[in-house]
Order: sequence, then C-alpha cells, then structure tokens
Amino acid sequence: MRALILAAGRGAGLYPFTNTRPKAMLPMAGEMLLHSAFKKIRAAGVSDLVVVVGHRADRIINEFGQGSRYGMTIQYIRQDEPTGIRDAIRLAKGHFQDDESFLLVYADVLSSENMYRQVVQAFGSFHQPVAAICHTPHAQNYGTVYLGKDMQIERLVEKPVEREVGNYVLAGVFVMPQRLFDLLENLEMDEALNELCAGEGLRSSIWEEPWLDAQHPWDLLKGNRMVMDTWTEARVDGSVRLRGAVQFRGPVVIGKNVVIESGASIFGPCFIGENTFLGNGVLVRPYTAIGANATIGFGVELKNCILFDGVRVGRLSFVGDSVIGEDAVVGSGTMTLIQNLDQSAIEVRMPEGKVDSGLDKVGAFLGDGAKVGASNTLASGAVVPPGEVVPHHYTYPRGEN
Amino acid sequence: MCGIAGMAASANVSQKLLRSIAALEYRGYDSCGMAVQRNGTIDIRKNVGTVEAVNSLERFTDMKGLVGIAHTRWATHGGVTQANAHPHADNESRLAVVHNGIISNYKELRSRLESEGAAFRSETDSEVIAHLVAQKIARNGQDVEEGFVEAIDELEGTFALAVISADAPGMIFCVKRESPLIIGLGDDANYVGSDFSAFFEFTRRAIIMEDGEYALITPESYAVKSLLTRERVDKEVTEIEWDAGKARRGGYPHFMLKEIYDQPTTVQAALQIPREDIQALARMIHESRQCFLGGVGTTYYIASMGQYFFSRLGGKYLPVISTDEFRHVAEVGPEDGFCAISQSGETYDTLSALRHAKSKGAKTAGIVNMMGSTLVRSVDVPILQGAGPEKSVLSTKTALSQAVILLLASMELGLLAGRLSEAQVAALREEVSSLSDLVLETLNERSGFFHGAAQAHQHMKNWLYLGRGIYYPAALECALKMKEVTYLHAEGMSAGFLKHGTISLIDENMYTIVLMPTPEEAELHALTRSSAEEVRARGGFVLGYRFEGDEMVEGLFSEEIVLPRVSALLAPFLHLVSGQLLAYFLAVALKRDVDRPRALAKSVTVA
Repeated sequence: MRALILAAGRGAGLYPFTNTRPKAMLPMAGEMLLHSAFKKIRAAGVSDLVVVVGHRADRIINEFGQGSRYGMTIQYIRQDEPTGIRDAIRLAKGHFQDDESFLLVYADVLSSENMYRQVVQAFGSFHQPVAAICHTPHAQNYGTVYLGKDMQIERLVEKPVEREVGNYVLAGVFVMPQRLFDLLENLEMDEALNELCAGEGLRSSIWEEPWLDAQHPWDLLKGNRMVMDTWTEARVDGSVRLRGAVQFRGPVVIGKNVVIESGASIFGPCFIGENTFLGNGVLVRPYTAIGANATIGFGVELKNCILFDGVRVGRLSFVGDSVIGEDAVVGSGTMTLIQNLDQSAIEVRMPEGKVDSGLDKVGAFLGDGAKVGASNTLASGAVVPPGEVVPHHYTYPRGEN
Repeated sequence: MCGIAGMAASANVSQKLLRSIAALEYRGYDSCGMAVQRNGTIDIRKNVGTVEAVNSLERFTDMKGLVGIAHTRWATHGGVTQANAHPHADNESRLAVVHNGIISNYKELRSRLESEGAAFRSETDSEVIAHLVAQKIARNGQDVEEGFVEAIDELEGTFALAVISADAPGMIFCVKRESPLIIGLGDDANYVGSDFSAFFEFTRRAIIMEDGEYALITPESYAVKSLLTRERVDKEVTEIEWDAGKARRGGYPHFMLKEIYDQPTTVQAALQIPREDIQALARMIHESRQCFLGGVGTTYYIASMGQYFFSRLGGKYLPVISTDEFRHVAEVGPEDGFCAISQSGETYDTLSALRHAKSKGAKTAGIVNMMGSTLVRSVDVPILQGAGPEKSVLSTKTALSQAVILLLASMELGLLAGRLSEAQVAALREEVSSLSDLVLETLNERSGFFHGAAQAHQHMKNWLYLGRGIYYPAALECALKMKEVTYLHAEGMSAGFLKHGTISLIDENMYTIVLMPTPEEAELHALTRSSAEEVRARGGFVLGYRFEGDEMVEGLFSEEIVLPRVSALLAPFLHLVSGQLLAYFLAVALKRDVDRPRALAKSVTVA
C-alpha cells in the first residue's frame, strides 16, 4: 500500500512557531511530528509516500529529501495556495492508479503508539474504506461520526453543533479508495466520506491510545508529555561526556556528543538532543525536551518545556511550562512566571488577543531567533514574536505582572 | 452468528482446526463440531458446549485427516442439541457441511428432499444443504463440483459454507452470499474461514471471497471461480498484518466496547421475544402467592431493578434474593414462584437456588441468554433473551436486555392484574421500542463525555454511586461494573442510606456519582438533589448524571454529564449505559485487562 501525506498545513494557531515552519515540523519529545509519523508509517509496512507540501515546503524537502535515509520513497506535490484539505487531496489524483486503495494521513496529528498500523490492519481484514476515530475533549474542532451496527460509521458531521461534541471524531488517518478523487471533484471531504458510508461502507478503527492534534502553542507541551509518558527506559548515547558527578533518574534520553558538567541533575522523562551543552549545576526536571546544539548555562532550572535546536539559556535562569523557538536566546537570570497568584487559568497573549489556555501553569512562548536580555521576567502566557529583542532588565510584556 | 473454518493440509488438521474454532468462538459458542476426510469416509464429531468443553468430551484432536471443516455455533433457530450442531451430513455421511447464515427457503427444500428420500436428523436450516448437495452430486455422476454449484443455485438466503465429500478427496468446496468468507494461503496448507481470526496463527496471506464466487481448496492449490460461468477468477492476495489480540476480537479494541454498542440491537431482540413467552412468565408471577426473583452479581442487581418495575406497573412486590443466599433465607413453598436470571444458564449459585425452589414444589421460570443451557432445560417457563453471544466477562448487553425483559413482563403482570388496559400496554411497549434509539444516541453523542471524565479522574481510587428509587439498583450495578473492570473501590448505595453512616467517608479521596431521576419524578428528584447537596456540603466532589431538560440541578454538581431527554420509564436504562461507559473508559485509561479482568470468569459454575 502507498500513502498520501497531507503536510501543507501551516497551523496558524501555533503562532509564534509556524511563521517559520510548517506545523508538521514542530518538535515534541525530541522529534518532529513528521519524523514520528514517517517512522510509524514505515513500521506499518508503507514506504512509498506522496507528500503534499505548501507553507515552508523547503523545510520538509530539505529534511526528508527522496526518503532514502528513512528507507522510504518520497514524492512531493506542492500546494501553492493554502486552500484546504480537499484541494490538497485532489492534487494527488494522478499519483494513484484506478482501484488503488491508499493510506491517507493528516500529518499534523500525533499518536503515542502506531495508529497507522492499526488502520492498515483493519483494511487488510475488512477490505472496506477505513477511518480512524478517537475521543478528544475538543470534538467541536473536528468532523464527528455516528456509529451504527457493528460500530460501522453511518454518517459524519463536519461542523458539530453543541449536542454532537460527545461523539467520536475522525482521527486523521484513513484508508481510502481511489474513488475518493472522483468524489472530491464535486464534493467537500465530509460529503465524500458520507458518500462512502452510503456506498461501500466506512469502517471505524477505534483508537484508544493518547492522540493529539496541536491547535495552540501550549498543546505542544501536552504532546511532549504524551510521548514521554510512554518511555520506560533511559538511553544515553555512548559518546556523552560527563565531567564530574551527574545525577540521573528515570527515563532520560540523551543524544550524541552531549557534554554535561558536574553537579547537574537530570530527571526523566526528558530528552537532550545531540551536541548540546549543560553547564554546572543544571537541573533538568521531567518533561523537558532540549533540541540539538543548545547551550544551557550554570545553575539553570528547566521543567516541562520544549527548547528547539540551537537555544541558549543563560546562567541562573528558570524556564518552565514554556516553548522556546529555534536559536532563541534567554538571557541570564531570566525567570518565566508560570502561575497566577490566584491559581486561575492562564490567558496566553496571542496576536488575536488573550486566549484562555485552560491550564493553571503556563510559561512563555518565544519565537525562533527571539532574544531576551539578561535579568528579565517573562509573564505567564507571554508570547515573544520571532526575532524580537527584549532589552536587559525588563518585564515582558511591559506593564503587567 | 456462527463461525466456520476449514483446512486442507499435508499433515493432520484436527489440532489446527481446533485452534481455528477456538479463535472464532467470539462468533458463538453454544455448540461446535468438526468433520475430517479419512480413507474415503467422513468422520464427524460434534456436541453442545464451548469449544473447550466439547473437545474434552469428543476429543477432536484424536481425529485423523488431511482435510477438515469445523464450526462453532450460536443458535438462532433450532435448539442447542448435539443433532443441531454442525457439521451436518447427508444420509450416508459421505458429505459434511458447515454453514453460517440463514437458508430462507429451507422448508420447501426440506419437504422436497424428504419426499425424495432424505432422512433429516436435525431441526436446522443448514442440514438441507448437505442433502441437496449430495443429491446433486449423485445426479451428476459423482461430479462433486458440478453438484455443489447446482445446489448453491437453489439456495435462497444468506450464507457462507464449506463442504467436504468422500467423493472428492483432498478438497474443500466453499461459497458465500452476504455472509463473510475468506481463504488463507499457507506454505503446506490452505485455509478457509468466516474471518481472518480462523487462521491468523497459521498464515497472513489471504484472499477475500466475493458474492457470486465459489472456491476449491486443496493442500497445494486453490481456485476461485464464478458461479455463473464456472471460469476461474483472478484474485488479489492480501498480506494481513494484525496483532493476535485484535484478531481474536474481530477488529474491535475490546469485546466490552463492541457489546456496549450491540445494545441498540439487543433491545430490539428483547422486544421480538414472542409475547406469549413473556405473558407466561407474568402469569406464573400473577398466580403465585409470592414470586422470588433471583440472580447473583449483575443479575441480582438487574432483578432488583425488576422489583421496582413489578411493583410500579404490576402492583406486586417480588422478593429479590441473591441466589448464593437463597437456600439460607427463602421460605418457599408449592404456591410460590421463582424466576432466575442468568446469562449462561449455568451459574452454580443460581442453579442451586433453582433446585431448592423446585424441591419445595415452586413453579420456576428463567431469563437466559444461552440456548440449551441447564437453566433453560430445568424451568417451567424459559425466556430466551436472544442477545447474541457475549464474550467479555463483563455483562453489558445481556444485563440491559434482561432489564428490558423484566420491564415487559411487569407490563403483562399489570394487564393480568387489571391495572393496565391492553391499550396502555401497547403504548408502553411502543415506548420501550424507542429505547433502542435512545441508547444509540447516548453512545454516539455522549460517549466522549464519559471518556473525558475517565481521563480527568482516573487517579481517583474510591467512588460512590448514589441513586434513589429504581436508580438505587442502577447505582449498585454501575458500581459493580466499575469495580469489576477497573479494580477501583466503588460502592453503590441508596442515596437516603448515605447519611446513616457512609457519609463519614466523604472527603477529597472519595468521588460521588449521583444518578438523577427525570424531572417528572418530582419527589424522587427533590430527595436525590438533597443527597447530592449533603455530599457537597462536606466538601465531596460530585459528578452528576442528569437528563436533558432538567433545570433544577443548576450549580448542584462539581461536574455533570447530560444524557438525552427520556421518560421516567426508560431513564434507568440510560444510567446503566452510563455506568458501562465510565467503567470501560476508566479501565482503558488504567490499562486493565478489559475483557478478562483478574480473578473473574464469564460463567461462575462453582460454589
């Protein structure tokens, strides 16, 4: 079986990180979404991929190329205008033969185990179109389904109204017949799927493991945790250099050529990418993912956060419940505030206005290349645009907290 | 639903065939059998019981042959007897057939074949296939393939079937119409089965058969042909990759979830039970001085729900006793009745209560899912649920269907007692028939809320379920479901009882679920509200299950889940479904062995 991967989505809600990359190239637990998806798709026995790329297509093509490094064959189709899923699928029409059923994947979905394999297996057994379905607390954002006899999908609702948000939702992985392309000539995706329900039937493949479609920057932290919760053992590369006494606890994953100075404490689950440097006395607490080529200074405390590649955090800083973009700099002595004094839910300062995160602990979100000067305080829910420079000794944003 | 399996191999097949039908058991398990070709004859063994039980009786593994077929049955018509079990044979037993589906013209075929000399041994529709194929083979000069195809042309209905004949050594003939059938291709054997689970242990390469095709299978080869043209059809070979656990469950994550989703169908099945059967039960209750209801575990709680139905609609109080205690407490005599409820019909405690009641001369009835079980055979008035096989150890669809049957019986009792008119009963039955859609609506539109609650509260170790009136036994059953499958501490309690002791347990380590009545049950509603308030006043967390359109509970709960708007008559059923869903999603979140919880067995046949 071959696969059609939809990776053109920008993920505008994930500002400030998706200005500079497509949603599918966001890292969680030390791995980019698309990386994790391709590995699982490969493990499900599918290695011939057609990938639709759009926003910042270069980042995907540079990373994966023709796929040979991953044991796959990848062809790319460019979707130049962001006109949605239906158009993205239609672009791939010529790439699939008559009567060919294919794996259809929305690349921005994260699952902790191999959802693709389950869907491929369901197709192998029933020889009917298959859609993975799951439960999510945010069902209002997805197509929801109605199940009938033998849990077959009877119909789906594209935009659920209030009473339909307790339903199973489409989880973004399908096996579809070639006929889908014809149906999409005249129909929207939901109409086409309903057409399949009425015709050859649409079998549900019920996904019960954790599942996430990140919609907001703080969702990245949820995905990070979701994946790390499945880790059970520590993996420290043989090339890692420990310069003195370093304490490890729990499933700690550390890549090539990492250098850790004495007095550091590394508590898993956590991830440290290759060539990263950790100074003396650094405290890495659970659910921290540090990218490659990062520099973490003396006495820094990190907890429940994602640091992209090339991040520098200066001495005696605290970064918690935060996401720090590629090559961003956090000046020494900088504190992220993570909690309101009354422990109410944190509102995040998105460009469109404040958005309730529903979480009682949220730190800051720094876009790629942002530079925060020394001795700063970043308010909970602060969002620093890519490349922004915050002066020394300042409170960001000004005039609050 | 039944399961069929067959294989042609270069070594003895009986051992592997046994594994095949064991894997197909989820399709039915009231009886099973096997047939093999051996030295120009056909050897058939079959009997009543689970695959394991029948094997120890009939010793399938002693059978010797390179070609064989096997079947596991779930009776739909024809009782559960050895004769009705598959495989079926022709007069001379030179041919054997296994069948899944329904032959709708079997009556005409049977009388024609009988007049032409066929001697039928069973009451099944399937046996006509054996005689018909045998007759056609004889008329075609022993050409088995030609005879097989001609016979298929005369069959009406839906079927998947496999045939072996002493006249075609080394071959299996199979065909399907609407019922499923697939072929498996191995290195030194080829297989056929109702689904992939029949041979997932042996091969992953499969061919999906379509309607209008038949196939010939030998150890080295296979041929799929068109019924119309008898020409070979090119078929694609599919590689199936599947983990064994899921294969055993026919693709569902767990039987429990599948069976919860079967409930809209089982409600309909309960409504299709012949009304005279339900009336016979009501008459027994009506005519007895007192009629005991008995069950144990879930069935005890379902019987307790029945108690409320019978007093509300039938005007009669029925003592309910857990059958393990029946002998120790029941004062039962010849003028009394005893109605036992059991999914399997083999529950030790219930059968011993039944024996006790019979020994005292009481009239007896049983509500049972398994045809042919001891309970069905032992009572004066048996009622068969028709809920289909339930494979999860947890009782879900059969429990709901038992409650529906008790409700229907209470209406008939009301009619006999002159409390309800025929027209009222008709209206009530009509109302019950809407339950199917309400259950489906609950499953489709609300399951996510239970999933969400399970995700959010999976760390809580102690749960209390509160209800009043009929919602009290519903609370007991919801709590039992939770403890069985999640291994958490859960207690069901009448809400009024709470303040007489248990309320001292309320703290941050104990969550309370309150089963709200419908707003139309004003008194019950007010009393239940005040119980919820008592818990909240002590700082307890309360998750309320209430119905749409209930505006009197504003701000009463810490969290709530809203169920579809429903009448008071049907409301308790939706609470049962709620209890199943929360228990299921909690068990999945806690990674429990959902279908086989520790220490539990489907049918408890010991004291």
